[in-house]
Amino acid sequence: MAGCCGTKDQVVARAQDGGPLEHFAGQVQNCLAYARLRKSQGAPVVGIMCEFTPRELIMAAGGVPVCLCGGSAEMVEPAERVLPANLCPLIKSTFGYSLEKANPFLEMASLVVAETTCDGKKKMYELLGQRHPMYVLELPQKSRDADAFEHWVAELRKLRKELEARFAVEITDEKLKEAVVVMNRDRRLKRELAGLMQSACPPLTGRELLGMRSLIAGLPQDHEQYSKAAAWLAGREIKPAAGKRVRVLLTGVPLPHGAERVLGLIEDNGGLVVCQESCSGEKPVLEDIDIDAPDLLRALAAKYFHLPCSVMTPNDRRLERLEALAGEYRAECVIEVVWRTCLTYDIEAQAVKALAEDKLRMPYLKIETDYSPSDNARLSLRVQSLFETVKGRQGCNHG
Amino acid sequence: MLYAGVDVGSRTIKVVVIDEGLGQLIASGICDQGVRQAALAHDLFKQVLGQAGLGREDVSRVIATGYGRSAVEWADAAVTEITCQAYGVIAQVPNARTIIDIGGQDSKVIRLDERGLVYDFVMNDRCAAGTGRFLEIVAVRLETGLKDLGAMAEKAACPSIISSMCAVFAETEIVGLLAAEEAPANLAAGVQHSVARRIVAMLAGRVNGPVVFTGGVALIPGMARALSDALDRNVIIAEAPQMTAARGAALIACGQARRTAGASAEVGKFLEAVQ
Repeated sequence: MAGCCGTKDQVVARAQDGGPLEHFAGQVQNCLAYARLRKSQGAPVVGIMCEFTPRELIMAAGGVPVCLCGGSAEMVEPAERVLPANLCPLIKSTFGYSLEKANPFLEMASLVVAETTCDGKKKMYELLGQRHPMYVLELPQKSRDADAFEHWVAELRKLRKELEARFAVEITDEKLKEAVVVMNRDRRLKRELAGLMQSACPPLTGRELLGMRSLIAGLPQDHEQYSKAAAWLAGREIKPAAGKRVRVLLTGVPLPHGAERVLGLIEDNGGLVVCQESCSGEKPVLEDIDIDAPDLLRALAAKYFHLPCSVMTPNDRRLERLEALAGEYRAECVIEVVWRTCLTYDIEAQAVKALAEDKLRMPYLKIETDYSPSDNARLSLRVQSLFETVKGRQGCNHG
Repeated sequence: MLYAGVDVGSRTIKVVVIDEGLGQLIASGICDQGVRQAALAHDLFKQVLGQAGLGREDVSRVIATGYGRSAVEWADAAVTEITCQAYGVIAQVPNARTIIDIGGQDSKVIRLDERGLVYDFVMNDRCAAGTGRFLEIVAVRLETGLKDLGAMAEKAACPSIISSMCAVFAETEIVGLLAAEEAPANLAAGVQHSVARRIVAMLAGRVNGPVVFTGGVALIPGMARALSDALDRNVIIAEAPQMTAARGAALIACGQARRTAGASAEVGKFLEAVQ
């Protein structure tokens, strides 16, 4: 692969002229302006905490679903006044935003919809529910069981009724279908962008790709820019040249807005994150909803129920996907990020390591960290060592 | 031509100069780490060369490694201590499969594949328990020197159980045991066993032999035996265990591993790729 992407000193073509990437640089402000506008027109802003919540139902109720996952290190300390220190930073940061009243989306939310995923989130939602209107979906966790799926369908029917009652609207199948069309388009556009990373010479970095996500999915202005981006990025070259970097399949916990540090660190040390399997990457966009299904709500439920989150047991789907993604994106190693004390991902890391090493035959590194930058040097050492191992093995196999 | 490795560690700086032909050791030196890390490394390098009657021009390539590797601006390249340690050990023990490295402020376990390449590694660098620093703290508490800790431990009738997972709390635990008139020898041995148990936990049940012990802590008598007992297998102390990473860096600088005694052809290609 080396040498296929030009010379070391090649300059990034059109690096500074912005293009669609410039639009996404102001993404939080864009989303805020949109949410404020819609709210002023009478649309309820509905916070969501996880990719299991079907945005389509909220949109069909006329609402604006906004992701509220906290990625700020600054919000961790206030949260620790209430929550235990031994809790994942994502949960603490999310709750800290509420205590500090620092997340404008949360402050304007008419409702927060969440679900029983991990124990830490579930119990934090009880506290959050004392501060904001909350609705918690019960997520069954044996994802291969038919009765578990039926229970999930029933939970979504209850949510539908809740939204209808709370916002005094009717969620017709037609409205639901319209929302599914928008979200299927959203997922397809995101898949297409992510797919650019399959190239031997990807035209953007993993960090840039992560920056193109949105707190509010399905925005018309985002869709316009996503469509433009693919054409605009064609032929673009990144620096250092993609062929000089180690191709990384990144998995594990999501990297919420503000918590992109680890991804940056991997790419600053000679890596190129070609695939992000997590919930802030491809996990939520890999499956669409069958628009022609006789029961659209069941089809909706199926898509979300298939999300291979580590709270599911067993979670074979995640391993199947990782195996497929490693091939499609020509990964050379697997890096797993685990937020400290995230037990489900931390334990499941055993299975991911075994998959990477025994089946995919590639080096694996688990990075356990939180939102504080204090371990940057220590993590850089691990990442550099991993890349030396990758290059060393390639030297042996091809030398 | 000569090649050098500079290992800028957390507690000490090491320099090794080797000969191109056989990868033979020409000169080496070690000094304590301090505030002016880059300058200290440079002074040591000049001193090692001077003592061997050599000049900078005799050394054609220098590789820096260790915590402060990026501070050594005069080095030609930097390679992590994981890779350097692996190579430094393989040059000594060609069939080594596991490296236990206990340094001043961290400990690592590196597993090697059948070709001698890094398979995976685990590091403890978030807490002092299980590192040389922990043993230093204990030595002070027991009013002895680090080097005499092993001799003291050998006299233990019944090693104490030190269960605290944190160096600071372990010290508190030791203070309590001293107050209960526990014999210092038992405490010294207990602390060595405590460090060994932490290393075994890092290995997570996957130990392949031969096991080679490196880092400054390998110089403390009794530590290898404590590890050996905890692992229930033989632990080989590397020759000059503090210098193996610097030696590995020098060998990588040389990049001629195929001509080095004990190194496989795969390792040679590996070194070329790493460069």
